[in-house]
Amino acid sequence: MNRNVIPVGPFHPLLEEAEYFTLTVDGETVVDIDLDIGWMHRGHELISERKTFTQSIYLVERICGICSTSHPIACVHAVEDVDNIEIPERAAYIRTLVGELERIHSHLLWLGLAGHFIGYDTVWMWAWKYREPVLQMFEIISGNRNHYGMMRVGGVAKDVDPARVPELLNILDMVDEKMHMIANAAKDDPVLKSRLKNVGILSKQAAIDYCAVGPTARASGVHTDVRKDEPNDAYGMVDFNEIVLENGDVYDKLVLRLLETLESTKICRQCLEKLSHSNGPILNNVKEIGVGEGIGRYEAPRGEVFHYIRSDGSNRPIRHKVRAPSYVNIPTFKASCKGIPVADALITLAAVDPCYCCTERALKIIDKNHDPFALDLLNLSRQKTEKIRRETYGAK
Amino acid sequence: MPEKEEFLKLMKDKIGPAIDKKGRLYFEVSNEHILEVADYLFKKLGCRLSTATCMEMYRGIEVLYHFSHDATGQYFCPRVVMTDRENPQMNSISNIVTGAEWIEREMAEYWGVKFIGHPRPEPLLTKEHPKGEGLGQPFRIRRMS
Repeated sequence: MNRNVIPVGPFHPLLEEAEYFTLTVDGETVVDIDLDIGWMHRGHELISERKTFTQSIYLVERICGICSTSHPIACVHAVEDVDNIEIPERAAYIRTLVGELERIHSHLLWLGLAGHFIGYDTVWMWAWKYREPVLQMFEIISGNRNHYGMMRVGGVAKDVDPARVPELLNILDMVDEKMHMIANAAKDDPVLKSRLKNVGILSKQAAIDYCAVGPTARASGVHTDVRKDEPNDAYGMVDFNEIVLENGDVYDKLVLRLLETLESTKICRQCLEKLSHSNGPILNNVKEIGVGEGIGRYEAPRGEVFHYIRSDGSNRPIRHKVRAPSYVNIPTFKASCKGIPVADALITLAAVDPCYCCTERALKIIDKNHDPFALDLLNLSRQKTEKIRRETYGAK
Repeated sequence: MPEKEEFLKLMKDKIGPAIDKKGRLYFEVSNEHILEVADYLFKKLGCRLSTATCMEMYRGIEVLYHFSHDATGQYFCPRVVMTDRENPQMNSISNIVTGAEWIEREMAEYWGVKFIGHPRPEPLLTKEHPKGEGLGQPFRIRRMS
Protein backbone atom coordinates (compact mmCIF):
# COMPACT_ATOMS: atom_id res chain seq x y z
CA MET A 1 0.00 0.00 0.00
CA ASN A 2 1.52 3.34 -1.08
CA ARG A 3 0.41 5.95 1.42
CA ASN A 4 1.40 9.60 1.39
CA VAL A 5 0.72 12.48 3.71
CA ILE A 6 -0.57 15.82 2.42
CA PRO A 7 -0.28 18.67 4.91
CA VAL A 8 -2.90 21.41 4.53
CA GLY A 9 -1.90 24.50 6.45
CA PRO A 10 -1.18 25.81 8.98
CA PHE A 11 -1.20 28.83 6.66
CA HIS A 12 -2.77 27.57 3.50
CA PRO A 13 -3.13 30.21 0.79
CA LEU A 14 -6.75 29.38 -0.02
CA LEU A 15 -8.19 29.17 3.46
CA GLU A 16 -8.54 32.43 5.33
CA GLU A 17 -7.57 31.26 8.79
CA ALA A 18 -4.80 29.28 10.43
CA GLU A 19 -5.66 25.62 10.59
CA TYR A 20 -3.72 22.47 9.96
CA PHE A 21 -4.99 19.20 8.52
CA THR A 22 -2.87 16.18 7.76
CA LEU A 23 -4.48 14.11 5.03
CA THR A 24 -3.20 10.56 4.65
CA VAL A 25 -3.90 9.42 1.10
CA ASP A 26 -3.73 6.11 -0.65
CA GLY A 27 -3.48 7.04 -4.31
CA GLU A 28 -6.26 9.60 -4.75
CA THR A 29 -8.30 8.48 -1.76
CA VAL A 30 -8.17 10.05 1.69
CA VAL A 31 -7.79 7.23 4.21
CA ASP A 32 -7.20 9.25 7.35
CA ILE A 33 -7.18 12.82 8.57
CA ASP A 34 -5.63 14.41 11.61
CA LEU A 35 -6.66 17.81 12.86
CA ASP A 36 -4.51 20.26 14.68
CA ILE A 37 -5.62 23.53 16.19
CA GLY A 38 -3.78 26.00 18.41
CA TRP A 39 -2.32 28.24 15.72
CA MET A 40 -4.06 31.37 16.94
CA HIS A 41 -4.01 32.50 20.52
CA ARG A 42 -7.19 34.05 21.84
CA GLY A 43 -7.94 34.87 25.45
CA HIS A 44 -11.58 35.77 25.69
CA GLU A 45 -12.49 33.57 28.62
CA LEU A 46 -9.72 34.88 30.83
CA ILE A 47 -10.11 38.50 29.71
CA SER A 48 -13.85 38.31 30.36
CA GLU A 49 -13.21 37.43 34.00
CA ARG A 50 -11.55 40.83 34.36
CA LYS A 51 -14.42 42.72 32.70
CA THR A 52 -17.84 43.69 33.99
CA PHE A 53 -20.83 41.80 32.64
CA THR A 54 -21.62 44.66 30.24
CA GLN A 55 -18.02 44.92 29.04
CA SER A 56 -17.95 41.15 28.45
CA ILE A 57 -20.74 41.52 25.89
CA TYR A 58 -18.55 43.83 23.78
CA LEU A 59 -15.63 41.45 24.24
CA VAL A 60 -17.46 38.33 23.04
CA GLU A 61 -18.89 40.29 20.12
CA ARG A 62 -15.34 40.38 18.81
CA ILE A 63 -14.76 36.63 18.99
CA CYS A 64 -16.06 36.33 15.45
CA GLY A 65 -16.81 38.78 12.69
CA ILE A 66 -19.56 36.62 11.19
CA CYS A 67 -21.27 35.47 14.41
CA SER A 68 -20.84 38.90 15.95
CA THR A 69 -24.33 38.90 17.43
CA SER A 70 -24.65 35.19 18.27
CA HIS A 71 -21.95 35.31 20.95
CA PRO A 72 -23.44 38.44 22.62
CA ILE A 73 -26.94 36.89 22.58
CA ALA A 74 -25.64 33.68 24.18
CA CYS A 75 -23.64 35.74 26.68
CA VAL A 76 -26.64 37.83 27.80
CA HIS A 77 -28.76 34.67 27.95
CA ALA A 78 -26.19 33.17 30.33
CA VAL A 79 -26.16 36.22 32.59
CA GLU A 80 -29.95 36.39 32.51
CA ASP A 81 -30.09 32.68 33.36
CA VAL A 82 -28.15 33.29 36.59
CA ASP A 83 -30.99 35.40 38.01
CA ASN A 84 -33.91 34.41 35.73
CA ILE A 85 -34.06 37.93 34.30
CA GLU A 86 -36.93 38.60 31.89
CA ILE A 87 -36.68 40.93 28.91
CA PRO A 88 -39.36 43.19 27.34
CA GLU A 89 -41.30 41.77 24.39
CA ARG A 90 -40.05 44.45 22.01
CA ALA A 91 -36.45 43.63 22.94
CA ALA A 92 -37.16 39.96 22.24
CA TYR A 93 -38.32 40.76 18.70
CA ILE A 94 -35.30 43.00 18.07
CA ARG A 95 -32.88 40.31 19.28
CA THR A 96 -34.54 37.74 17.03
CA LEU A 97 -34.54 40.11 14.04
CA VAL A 98 -30.81 40.84 14.38
CA GLY A 99 -29.99 37.17 14.94
CA GLU A 100 -31.88 36.04 11.86
CA LEU A 101 -30.39 38.75 9.64
CA GLU A 102 -27.02 37.45 10.76
CA ARG A 103 -28.01 33.94 9.73
CA ILE A 104 -28.95 35.19 6.23
CA HIS A 105 -25.68 37.02 5.67
CA SER A 106 -23.61 34.17 7.14
CA HIS A 107 -25.27 31.51 4.98
CA LEU A 108 -24.82 33.71 1.88
CA LEU A 109 -21.18 34.22 2.79
CA TRP A 110 -20.69 30.46 3.07
CA LEU A 111 -22.56 29.83 -0.18
CA GLY A 112 -20.26 32.24 -2.00
CA LEU A 113 -17.13 30.66 -0.53
CA ALA A 114 -18.38 27.16 -1.32
CA GLY A 115 -18.97 28.20 -4.95
CA HIS A 116 -15.50 29.72 -5.08
CA PHE A 117 -13.88 26.57 -3.63
CA ILE A 118 -15.36 24.34 -6.28
CA GLY A 119 -14.54 26.77 -9.09
CA TYR A 120 -18.10 27.99 -9.56
CA ASP A 121 -17.59 31.71 -9.24
CA THR A 122 -21.06 32.62 -10.52
CA VAL A 123 -22.49 31.28 -7.26
CA TRP A 124 -19.90 33.28 -5.35
CA MET A 125 -20.76 36.55 -7.13
CA TRP A 126 -24.52 36.08 -6.82
CA ALA A 127 -24.41 35.13 -3.16
CA TRP A 128 -22.18 38.00 -2.15
CA LYS A 129 -24.07 40.50 -4.31
CA TYR A 130 -27.30 39.77 -2.45
CA ARG A 131 -25.57 39.65 0.94
CA GLU A 132 -24.83 43.34 0.58
CA PRO A 133 -28.46 44.54 1.14
CA VAL A 134 -28.56 42.51 4.37
CA LEU A 135 -25.55 44.46 5.64
CA GLN A 136 -27.41 47.66 4.66
CA MET A 137 -30.29 46.50 6.87
CA PHE A 138 -27.86 46.13 9.75
CA GLU A 139 -26.62 49.65 9.12
CA ILE A 140 -30.19 51.00 9.24
CA ILE A 141 -30.95 49.10 12.46
CA SER A 142 -27.73 49.51 14.41
CA GLY A 143 -25.57 52.04 12.58
CA ASN A 144 -22.97 49.35 11.85
CA ARG A 145 -22.57 46.78 9.12
CA ASN A 146 -20.87 44.46 11.59
CA HIS A 147 -20.37 44.35 15.37
CA TYR A 148 -23.77 45.86 16.01
CA GLY A 149 -23.48 46.51 19.76
CA MET A 150 -27.18 45.71 20.19
CA MET A 151 -27.24 43.34 23.16
CA ARG A 152 -27.60 44.23 26.84
CA VAL A 153 -28.42 42.17 29.90
CA GLY A 154 -32.19 42.69 30.25
CA GLY A 155 -32.91 43.72 26.65
CA VAL A 156 -31.27 45.55 23.79
CA ALA A 157 -29.32 48.79 23.49
CA LYS A 158 -31.02 50.31 20.45
CA ASP A 159 -34.61 50.43 19.27
CA VAL A 160 -35.78 49.92 15.71
CA ASP A 161 -37.34 53.13 14.44
CA PRO A 162 -40.91 52.22 13.33
CA ALA A 163 -40.65 54.88 10.60
CA ARG A 164 -37.87 52.91 8.92
CA VAL A 165 -39.62 49.56 9.06
CA PRO A 166 -41.21 49.96 5.56
CA GLU A 167 -37.74 50.56 4.12
CA LEU A 168 -36.42 47.45 5.89
CA LEU A 169 -39.38 45.41 4.64
CA ASN A 170 -38.72 46.55 1.06
CA ILE A 171 -35.09 45.41 1.26
CA LEU A 172 -36.21 42.14 2.87
CA ASP A 173 -38.71 41.54 0.03
CA MET A 174 -35.93 41.99 -2.52
CA VAL A 175 -33.59 39.66 -0.58
CA ASP A 176 -36.38 37.09 -0.26
CA GLU A 177 -37.07 37.19 -4.02
CA LYS A 178 -33.39 36.78 -4.85
CA MET A 179 -32.97 34.00 -2.29
CA HIS A 180 -35.82 32.07 -3.91
CA MET A 181 -34.12 32.58 -7.25
CA ILE A 182 -30.72 31.36 -5.95
CA ALA A 183 -32.28 28.44 -4.08
CA ASN A 184 -34.20 27.25 -7.14
CA ALA A 185 -31.19 27.73 -9.42
CA ALA A 186 -28.86 25.89 -7.05
CA LYS A 187 -31.27 23.02 -6.48
CA ASP A 188 -31.76 22.52 -10.23
CA ASP A 189 -28.15 23.05 -11.27
CA PRO A 190 -26.76 19.77 -12.67
CA VAL A 191 -23.13 20.80 -12.10
CA LEU A 192 -23.64 21.60 -8.43
CA LYS A 193 -25.64 18.44 -7.95
CA SER A 194 -23.11 16.12 -9.57
CA ARG A 195 -20.22 17.93 -7.86
CA LEU A 196 -21.64 17.87 -4.32
CA LYS A 197 -24.13 15.00 -4.14
CA ASN A 198 -22.82 12.05 -2.07
CA VAL A 199 -19.61 13.95 -1.28
CA GLY A 200 -18.31 14.02 2.32
CA ILE A 201 -21.23 12.17 3.89
CA LEU A 202 -21.58 12.50 7.64
CA SER A 203 -23.85 9.73 8.88
CA LYS A 204 -26.53 10.41 11.46
CA GLN A 205 -24.80 8.19 14.01
CA ALA A 206 -21.45 9.96 13.50
CA ALA A 207 -23.15 13.35 13.92
CA ILE A 208 -24.67 12.13 17.22
CA ASP A 209 -21.38 10.59 18.41
CA TYR A 210 -19.41 13.76 17.72
CA CYS A 211 -22.20 15.91 19.25
CA ALA A 212 -22.36 17.96 16.04
CA VAL A 213 -24.62 21.00 15.97
CA GLY A 214 -26.35 23.32 13.52
CA PRO A 215 -26.60 22.68 9.77
CA THR A 216 -23.85 20.04 10.07
CA ALA A 217 -26.07 17.91 12.31
CA ARG A 218 -29.42 18.81 10.73
CA ALA A 219 -28.19 17.84 7.24
CA SER A 220 -27.53 14.38 8.70
CA GLY A 221 -31.04 13.98 10.07
CA VAL A 222 -30.38 15.07 13.67
CA HIS A 223 -33.03 17.35 15.18
CA THR A 224 -31.06 19.95 17.07
CA ASP A 225 -31.99 23.60 16.84
CA VAL A 226 -31.85 25.85 19.91
CA ARG A 227 -34.59 28.03 18.39
CA LYS A 228 -37.00 25.09 18.71
CA ASP A 229 -35.44 23.23 21.66
CA GLU A 230 -35.31 26.21 24.00
CA PRO A 231 -37.22 29.04 22.29
CA ASN A 232 -35.72 32.15 23.87
CA ASP A 233 -36.43 35.72 22.84
CA ALA A 234 -39.19 35.84 20.20
CA TYR A 235 -38.69 32.35 18.76
CA GLY A 236 -41.69 31.06 20.68
CA MET A 237 -43.85 33.81 19.16
CA VAL A 238 -42.97 33.49 15.45
CA ASP A 239 -43.82 30.84 12.91
CA PHE A 240 -40.96 28.98 11.22
CA ASN A 241 -39.86 25.46 10.35
CA GLU A 242 -36.79 23.57 11.49
CA ILE A 243 -35.13 22.28 8.32
CA VAL A 244 -33.78 18.74 8.65
CA LEU A 245 -32.40 16.69 5.74
CA GLU A 246 -31.22 13.11 5.68
CA ASN A 247 -28.25 12.40 3.42
CA GLY A 248 -25.54 14.31 5.33
CA ASP A 249 -23.49 15.15 2.22
CA VAL A 250 -22.20 18.54 1.12
CA TYR A 251 -25.17 19.01 -1.22
CA ASP A 252 -27.64 18.57 1.66
CA LYS A 253 -25.68 21.06 3.74
CA LEU A 254 -25.93 23.56 0.86
CA VAL A 255 -29.67 23.01 0.31
CA LEU A 256 -30.32 23.13 4.05
CA ARG A 257 -28.62 26.51 4.37
CA LEU A 258 -30.59 27.88 1.41
CA LEU A 259 -33.88 26.68 2.90
CA GLU A 260 -32.91 28.07 6.31
CA THR A 261 -32.28 31.44 4.72
CA LEU A 262 -35.84 31.46 3.41
CA GLU A 263 -37.11 30.57 6.90
CA SER A 264 -35.02 33.43 8.30
CA THR A 265 -36.56 35.97 5.94
CA LYS A 266 -39.96 34.69 7.12
CA ILE A 267 -38.97 35.25 10.77
CA CYS A 268 -37.52 38.71 10.01
CA ARG A 269 -40.76 39.75 8.30
CA GLN A 270 -42.84 38.69 11.31
CA CYS A 271 -40.51 40.58 13.66
CA LEU A 272 -40.58 43.74 11.56
CA GLU A 273 -44.37 43.68 11.26
CA LYS A 274 -44.64 43.32 15.03
CA LEU A 275 -42.15 46.14 15.62
CA SER A 276 -43.93 48.46 13.17
CA HIS A 277 -47.18 48.61 15.15
CA SER A 278 -46.08 48.12 18.73
CA ASN A 279 -44.27 50.21 21.25
CA GLY A 280 -42.76 49.68 24.64
CA PRO A 281 -39.52 49.47 26.58
CA ILE A 282 -36.49 47.75 25.11
CA LEU A 283 -34.45 47.32 28.29
CA ASN A 284 -35.23 46.24 31.83
CA ASN A 285 -33.10 47.94 34.43
CA VAL A 286 -30.86 45.24 35.87
CA LYS A 287 -28.96 46.64 38.84
CA GLU A 288 -26.99 43.62 39.96
CA ILE A 289 -26.40 39.95 39.21
CA GLY A 290 -26.72 37.56 42.12
CA VAL A 291 -24.66 34.55 43.11
CA GLY A 292 -25.10 31.52 40.88
CA GLU A 293 -24.42 29.97 37.53
CA GLY A 294 -26.15 30.31 34.20
CA ILE A 295 -26.14 28.71 30.78
CA GLY A 296 -26.85 30.76 27.69
CA ARG A 297 -27.07 29.47 24.18
CA TYR A 298 -28.14 30.65 20.80
CA GLU A 299 -28.55 28.99 17.44
CA ALA A 300 -25.82 30.76 15.49
CA PRO A 301 -25.62 30.24 11.70
CA ARG A 302 -23.09 27.43 12.29
CA GLY A 303 -24.96 25.87 15.23
CA GLU A 304 -25.31 26.20 18.95
CA VAL A 305 -23.14 28.85 20.60
CA PHE A 306 -22.74 28.00 24.27
CA HIS A 307 -21.79 30.34 27.12
CA TYR A 308 -21.54 29.46 30.81
CA ILE A 309 -21.28 32.16 33.45
CA ARG A 310 -20.55 31.73 37.13
CA SER A 311 -21.13 34.73 39.33
CA ASP A 312 -20.12 35.43 42.92
CA GLY A 313 -22.45 38.40 43.20
CA SER A 314 -19.88 40.97 42.08
CA ASN A 315 -20.12 42.89 38.82
CA ARG A 316 -17.98 40.43 36.85
CA PRO A 317 -17.99 36.69 36.18
CA ILE A 318 -15.63 34.43 38.09
CA ARG A 319 -15.79 31.95 35.20
CA HIS A 320 -16.92 32.51 31.65
CA LYS A 321 -16.86 29.49 29.37
CA VAL A 322 -17.33 29.98 25.63
CA ARG A 323 -17.87 27.15 23.17
CA ALA A 324 -18.39 28.01 19.52
CA PRO A 325 -20.16 25.56 17.17
CA SER A 326 -17.04 24.89 15.08
CA TYR A 327 -15.35 23.40 18.15
CA VAL A 328 -17.68 20.40 17.96
CA ASN A 329 -18.24 20.42 14.19
CA ILE A 330 -14.59 20.37 13.09
CA PRO A 331 -13.85 16.93 14.68
CA THR A 332 -16.56 15.42 12.43
CA PHE A 333 -14.01 15.60 9.59
CA LYS A 334 -12.66 12.36 11.03
CA ALA A 335 -15.90 10.73 9.93
CA SER A 336 -16.78 12.66 6.78
CA CYS A 337 -13.39 12.84 5.03
CA LYS A 338 -12.40 9.17 5.07
CA GLY A 339 -12.79 7.46 1.73
CA ILE A 340 -13.33 10.57 -0.39
CA PRO A 341 -11.09 11.66 -3.30
CA VAL A 342 -8.50 14.33 -2.48
CA ALA A 343 -10.23 16.73 -4.88
CA ASP A 344 -13.34 16.61 -2.69
CA ALA A 345 -11.46 17.14 0.57
CA LEU A 346 -11.46 20.93 0.43
CA ILE A 347 -15.20 21.36 -0.07
CA THR A 348 -15.86 18.70 2.59
CA LEU A 349 -13.66 20.60 5.03
CA ALA A 350 -15.48 23.81 4.13
CA ALA A 351 -18.95 22.26 4.32
CA VAL A 352 -19.27 22.63 8.09
CA ASP A 353 -18.55 26.36 7.64
CA PRO A 354 -15.64 26.16 10.07
CA CYS A 355 -14.62 29.24 11.98
CA TYR A 356 -11.18 28.93 13.52
CA CYS A 357 -11.10 32.27 15.30
CA CYS A 358 -14.21 31.09 17.21
CA THR A 359 -12.68 27.70 17.90
CA GLU A 360 -9.26 28.76 19.06
CA ARG A 361 -8.36 29.17 22.69
CA ALA A 362 -5.52 31.01 24.41
CA LEU A 363 -2.37 30.48 26.32
CA LYS A 364 -1.49 31.57 29.78
CA ILE A 365 1.31 30.03 31.72
CA ILE A 366 1.53 29.93 35.46
CA ASP A 367 4.92 29.37 36.99
CA LYS A 368 4.16 28.26 40.50
CA ASN A 369 7.32 29.82 41.86
CA HIS A 370 6.69 33.26 40.45
CA ASP A 371 4.02 35.85 40.00
CA PRO A 372 1.37 34.11 37.90
CA PHE A 373 0.92 37.12 35.65
CA ALA A 374 4.62 37.71 35.01
CA LEU A 375 5.17 34.91 32.55
CA ASP A 376 2.96 35.40 29.58
CA LEU A 377 3.89 34.84 25.97
CA LEU A 378 4.51 38.50 25.31
CA ASN A 379 7.04 38.64 28.12
CA LEU A 380 8.65 35.41 26.97
CA SER A 381 8.96 36.83 23.47
CA ARG A 382 10.45 40.08 24.75
CA GLN A 383 12.84 38.23 27.06
CA LYS A 384 14.08 36.13 24.17
CA THR A 385 14.68 39.24 22.05
CA GLU A 386 16.55 40.82 24.92
CA LYS A 387 18.68 37.68 25.33
CA ILE A 388 19.60 37.67 21.63
CA ARG A 389 20.30 41.40 21.74
CA ARG A 390 22.69 40.93 24.65
CA GLU A 391 24.43 38.01 22.95
CA THR A 392 24.81 40.02 19.74
CA TYR A 393 25.79 43.41 21.09
CA GLY A 394 27.00 42.53 24.56
CA ALA A 395 25.36 43.46 27.85
CA LYS A 396 24.67 47.19 28.08
CA MET B 1 -40.45 16.89 33.10
CA PRO B 2 -40.48 13.06 33.07
CA GLU B 3 -36.87 12.65 31.90
CA LYS B 4 -35.53 14.68 34.80
CA GLU B 5 -37.75 12.92 37.36
CA GLU B 6 -36.74 9.51 36.05
CA PHE B 7 -33.07 10.48 36.06
CA LEU B 8 -33.25 11.71 39.65
CA LYS B 9 -35.10 8.55 40.70
CA LEU B 10 -32.67 6.17 39.02
CA MET B 11 -29.50 8.01 40.02
CA LYS B 12 -30.47 9.11 43.52
CA ASP B 13 -27.73 6.97 45.11
CA LYS B 14 -25.10 8.09 42.64
CA ILE B 15 -25.45 11.84 42.67
CA GLY B 16 -24.76 14.36 45.40
CA PRO B 17 -26.21 17.80 46.14
CA ALA B 18 -28.22 19.21 43.23
CA ILE B 19 -29.33 22.68 42.15
CA ASP B 20 -32.57 22.44 40.24
CA LYS B 21 -33.61 25.59 38.43
CA LYS B 22 -35.74 26.27 35.37
CA GLY B 23 -34.41 24.01 32.62
CA ARG B 24 -31.10 23.39 34.40
CA LEU B 25 -30.04 20.62 36.76
CA TYR B 26 -26.57 21.00 38.27
CA PHE B 27 -25.49 18.10 40.47
CA GLU B 28 -22.37 16.61 41.98
CA VAL B 29 -21.09 13.19 41.00
CA SER B 30 -18.17 11.29 42.45
CA ASN B 31 -15.42 10.19 40.10
CA GLU B 32 -16.44 6.54 40.43
CA HIS B 33 -19.99 7.26 39.20
CA ILE B 34 -19.31 9.78 36.41
CA LEU B 35 -19.05 7.09 33.73
CA GLU B 36 -22.38 5.56 34.71
CA VAL B 37 -24.07 8.96 34.79
CA ALA B 38 -22.55 10.00 31.43
CA ASP B 39 -23.56 6.69 29.88
CA TYR B 40 -27.16 7.10 31.07
CA LEU B 41 -27.39 10.73 29.89
CA PHE B 42 -25.80 10.13 26.49
CA LYS B 43 -27.00 6.67 25.51
CA LYS B 44 -30.26 6.12 27.39
CA LEU B 45 -31.61 9.66 27.55
CA GLY B 46 -30.19 10.75 24.17
CA CYS B 47 -28.53 13.89 25.48
CA ARG B 48 -25.90 15.76 23.49
CA LEU B 49 -22.72 16.97 25.20
CA SER B 50 -22.49 20.72 24.62
CA THR B 51 -19.12 21.08 26.29
CA ALA B 52 -17.45 20.94 29.71
CA THR B 53 -16.15 23.71 31.95
CA CYS B 54 -13.17 23.46 34.26
CA MET B 55 -12.88 25.81 37.22
CA GLU B 56 -10.56 26.22 40.16
CA MET B 57 -12.77 26.85 43.17
CA TYR B 58 -12.13 26.92 46.91
CA ARG B 59 -12.91 23.21 47.27
CA GLY B 60 -10.58 22.16 44.48
CA ILE B 61 -10.70 21.77 40.73
CA GLU B 62 -14.17 21.25 39.29
CA VAL B 63 -15.10 19.72 35.94
CA LEU B 64 -18.68 20.52 34.96
CA TYR B 65 -20.14 18.68 31.96
CA HIS B 66 -23.07 20.23 30.10
CA PHE B 67 -25.44 17.65 28.61
CA SER B 68 -28.31 19.07 26.58
CA HIS B 69 -31.55 17.14 26.24
CA ASP B 70 -32.53 18.74 22.95
CA ALA B 71 -36.05 17.32 22.85
CA THR B 72 -37.00 19.28 25.98
CA GLY B 73 -34.35 22.00 26.27
CA GLN B 74 -33.31 20.66 29.69
CA TYR B 75 -29.64 20.78 30.72
CA PHE B 76 -28.08 18.09 32.91
CA CYS B 77 -24.78 19.24 34.38
CA PRO B 78 -22.80 16.67 36.38
CA ARG B 79 -19.97 18.18 38.40
CA VAL B 80 -16.86 16.28 39.51
CA VAL B 81 -14.78 17.96 42.22
CA MET B 82 -11.11 17.03 42.65
CA THR B 83 -9.74 18.17 45.98
CA ASP B 84 -6.14 17.20 45.22
CA ARG B 85 -5.06 20.37 43.43
CA GLU B 86 -1.53 19.16 42.81
CA ASN B 87 -2.56 15.95 41.11
CA PRO B 88 -6.13 16.28 39.85
CA GLN B 89 -7.37 13.21 38.00
CA MET B 90 -10.69 11.71 37.02
CA ASN B 91 -12.18 9.18 34.62
CA SER B 92 -12.49 10.25 31.01
CA ILE B 93 -15.95 10.05 29.42
CA SER B 94 -14.48 10.19 25.88
CA ASN B 95 -14.91 6.44 25.42
CA ILE B 96 -18.65 6.94 25.93
CA VAL B 97 -19.05 10.34 24.24
CA THR B 98 -16.70 10.79 21.28
CA GLY B 99 -17.52 14.49 21.30
CA ALA B 100 -15.82 14.88 24.69
CA GLU B 101 -12.39 14.08 23.29
CA TRP B 102 -11.28 17.61 22.42
CA ILE B 103 -12.62 19.36 25.48
CA GLU B 104 -11.02 16.81 27.82
CA ARG B 105 -7.70 17.23 26.05
CA GLU B 106 -8.05 20.98 26.39
CA MET B 107 -8.86 20.75 30.11
CA ALA B 108 -5.92 18.40 30.64
CA GLU B 109 -3.67 20.91 28.91
CA TYR B 110 -4.96 24.04 30.62
CA TRP B 111 -5.78 22.85 34.10
CA GLY B 112 -3.47 19.90 34.55
CA VAL B 113 -6.35 17.44 35.02
CA LYS B 114 -5.41 13.88 34.12
CA PHE B 115 -8.30 12.10 32.38
CA ILE B 116 -7.83 8.41 33.05
CA GLY B 117 -8.62 6.21 30.05
CA HIS B 118 -8.67 9.04 27.51
CA PRO B 119 -8.19 7.51 24.04
CA ARG B 120 -5.73 10.16 22.94
CA PRO B 121 -4.07 11.85 25.92
CA GLU B 122 -1.93 14.36 24.06
CA PRO B 123 -2.03 18.16 23.91
CA LEU B 124 -4.70 19.63 21.65
CA LEU B 125 -3.36 23.16 21.35
CA THR B 126 0.32 23.12 22.21
CA LYS B 127 1.37 19.92 20.45
CA GLU B 128 3.36 21.77 17.79
CA HIS B 129 4.50 24.58 20.06
CA PRO B 130 8.21 25.16 20.54
CA LYS B 131 9.43 23.57 23.72
CA GLY B 132 12.02 25.27 25.83
CA GLU B 133 11.78 28.60 27.50
CA GLY B 134 8.56 28.83 29.38
CA LEU B 135 6.60 26.14 27.62
CA GLY B 136 8.43 23.02 28.79
CA GLN B 137 9.29 21.80 32.26
CA PRO B 138 9.39 22.96 34.98
CA PHE B 139 6.51 25.22 34.03
CA ARG B 140 3.09 23.82 34.56
CA ILE B 141 0.45 24.94 32.13
CA ARG B 142 -2.60 25.34 34.25
CA ARG B 143 -4.77 28.17 33.11
CA MET B 144 -4.79 29.34 29.58
CA SER B 145 -8.23 30.02 28.17
